[in-house]
Amino acid sequence: MPLKPSDAILSAKGVSKRFKGLRALNDVSLEVQRSSITALIGPNGAGKTTLFNILSGFIRPDHGSVTFEGLSLDRLPPHRRARIGLVRTFQIPRVFGRLTVLENMLLADPNQPGERFFGCFYLRGAMRRREREERDEAMELLSLLNIDRLANDYAGTLSGGQRKLVELGRVLMIRPTMIMLDEPMAGVNPALGLRLLERVEYLRRERGLTFLFVEHDMEVVMRVSDRVVVLDEGTLIADGSARAIRTNERVIDAYLGRSKNSAAVVRR
Amino acid sequence: MADFSLFVLATAGIYTIFSLGLLVQFGIAGLPNFGNGAFMAVSGYAMAIGIVKLGLPMIIAAPLAMVAAVLFGLLLAIPTIRLRSDYLAIATVAAGEIVRYLALNLEGLTGGAAGTVNLLGPGQAADYNFEWLRLQNWMQDGISHLFHVRAKPDLAFCCIIWPVALILLAIVDAMVRSPWGRVLRAIREDQEAATALGKDVFRCKLQAFSLGAALAGLAGLFLAWQVSTFTPDDFKPTITFYAFVIVILGGKTNVWAVPIGSLLFTIIFSGTRFLGFWPLSLFSSGDKAFLRLILVGLALVVLVIFRPQGIFGNPREDAVET
Repeated sequence: MPLKPSDAILSAKGVSKRFKGLRALNDVSLEVQRSSITALIGPNGAGKTTLFNILSGFIRPDHGSVTFEGLSLDRLPPHRRARIGLVRTFQIPRVFGRLTVLENMLLADPNQPGERFFGCFYLRGAMRRREREERDEAMELLSLLNIDRLANDYAGTLSGGQRKLVELGRVLMIRPTMIMLDEPMAGVNPALGLRLLERVEYLRRERGLTFLFVEHDMEVVMRVSDRVVVLDEGTLIADGSARAIRTNERVIDAYLGRSKNSAAVVRR
Repeated sequence: MADFSLFVLATAGIYTIFSLGLLVQFGIAGLPNFGNGAFMAVSGYAMAIGIVKLGLPMIIAAPLAMVAAVLFGLLLAIPTIRLRSDYLAIATVAAGEIVRYLALNLEGLTGGAAGTVNLLGPGQAADYNFEWLRLQNWMQDGISHLFHVRAKPDLAFCCIIWPVALILLAIVDAMVRSPWGRVLRAIREDQEAATALGKDVFRCKLQAFSLGAALAGLAGLFLAWQVSTFTPDDFKPTITFYAFVIVILGGKTNVWAVPIGSLLFTIIFSGTRFLGFWPLSLFSSGDKAFLRLILVGLALVVLVIFRPQGIFGNPREDAVET
């Protein structure tokens, strides 16, 4: 679908990052359009996760700047970025093991007055009301992700795929405007993965959420993304529609090596 | 025997308040504070100095002393609390020892190694405790009249400290169960993930640390009141280790296990006088003082092996791999 170039929800300009001489990112600029699903792909070590960490504020870039909803993020610590609606998940899911699944979900509530110091005393009524409402919301999300029966289990007892789902549910509890997913499909069984993708498309369609996701499964990338951004050795080498990327020689070279067989995989 | 039980009960009250602070910091928020004894010292000394040197009434000096403990906590926490927990542990041990050595060496301020009795310099016994003893005597007389018994000072002390301790336990329990406590537990599990969910990890840690500092400060006041004079060596790092034993003994996250852990610990620790039977009768009383440390250590080792979640801990929670 055609998107107005002016309607970028997130934009990064000239982002560079070195780790002790290793150039992780080199002058990367990209824009993510509002309500789009953008895939970030590239071979291992291309700098995808570094870019995620910079966008979410977990590491500072050496150069370059990031804006979100027209607001400069450069001085905004990571928790504040989540608060303004830019959230992320991790490649290896990070659940709070000794909290139940439901607690993991409720924790993400951005607006629980009971989280203030001594708030459970002087904001008791508001705290309880909010907790009730959020519990319903959380249970609804959990049943949608098909893990509602695990609500009262400690998250640390869950399988890797289940943890991915908890992570996704958790970021949805923040009511974000943009979600960055680091390999959301890795380790999730295909049937469930399909539901996950459907949910992503639904959230984009119905609520106008924006997604930026790292994924290695090309079939998934081609299926859901409006746009694909390709990183290789810290440099952005291609940026375009899934169709255009599929036939981009530079991408085929960099991403899959020069072998004709692997090129065929992409074209398939 | 009855006197001894009351002494144990009174001491357990102090340990309860002290360990409750550590439970918030370590058990809930995952902040291993090995300098907790220093917070007792800061507040005990602040009160004694306030009363003796500045002539403040106890009712003002005591809360100010707790404020001093919290301020010291913030001073220590602001630069160190971002550290990984093992480094934080080292930093807090060091801070605790710095406080003790300062108290030993700043003789003009603290009375030095001789303790608070030396606060006004040699030849003039300083006393910060007269107002407390007035309160405690009033309590003692009240109990004696009411129940037609001859109440001992330790009983009066218990009748003051335990209601305070129980109220604090209830307050902390409510906080730990609230969304505030949930955020702290999440930070304990994975602070980066908590950050990614929009939680201000630094601020929450400071809050937990300050609450623990305030509780340790209050415990320091009761310790000072119980003994009437104290020296820097009353706040050796071992006192913090005892609190760790108590918290681990009870089950790291269970608020109501703290008083029970404190009682058990104090009984084991103070109960060496009952170890007069053979073969323990072969030891001199001085050796028995070390024996009790060995006993406490042994109890802890056995507990950690056979019941790692503590006496009242949740085995389900402990089985979780993270």
